[in-house]
Amino acid sequence: MAHTKTKRTNTRKKSLLANKICRFCAEKVKFIDFYDIKLLKPLISERGKIVPSRISGNCAKHQRQLTTAIKRARNIALLPFTAEH
Amino acid sequence: MRRNALRSYQSILILKPDLDETQVDQALEKVSEFLKKNDGSCLKVEKWGKKRLAYRVKKNRFGYYLNIYHTCGNQNVSSLETEYKLFEQIIRYLVVRLGDKELERAVSREYKGEKSDSTGRETSPVKKENATKASDND
Ligand SMILES: [Zn+2]
Repeated sequence: MAHTKTKRTNTRKKSLLANKICRFCAEKVKFIDFYDIKLLKPLISERGKIVPSRISGNCAKHQRQLTTAIKRARNIALLPFTAEH
Repeated sequence: MRRNALRSYQSILILKPDLDETQVDQALEKVSEFLKKNDGSCLKVEKWGKKRLAYRVKKNRFGYYLNIYHTCGNQNVSSLETEYKLFEQIIRYLVVRLGDKELERAVSREYKGEKSDSTGRETSPVKKENATKASDND
């Protein structure tokens, strides 16, 4: 019973929210490039905020690398600081 | 007194979007001059081409991206940055220090990140140009 319940809620949410394993560990990523926007784009919210690791499921090590990568990408206008109006 | 050691860096430069290829090459020559002045040398250059910026930079919605892997004296980085700042073709720059492993990986890897983008450009070059004009008018 309990199992089916959790499964249902997971499928209802976005695929991003359902992740419980670090996506970078799963792919054995050693360095997160700040110019790899395809990798970083799904990890920022609509407003341009960094998605917390409690939601994305990233491990602490990769989350730290990710935040520096996102901040660098913002500096060279590859990612937004905020949503444009 | 600290010694001036040679370190490897990555510079991302955003040039003005209205430059053509020859002007970009001229800018590149200028940049390699800057590097020479600061005891550095160019290791690898990647032209990412014209891209849409995530926000406006000096009133530009688009920019021509250059990615340069280079060496530089570690006490000359600030002077290199002022050179970038004073060069009016560059609207934004970022200099990042690279570790040995990162440099190895960067130099050995072929640049192919924009493949999907370039195909998109081939299918609708006219549309994109129109879009830039429209956004400039805004
Ligand atoms: Zn991880």
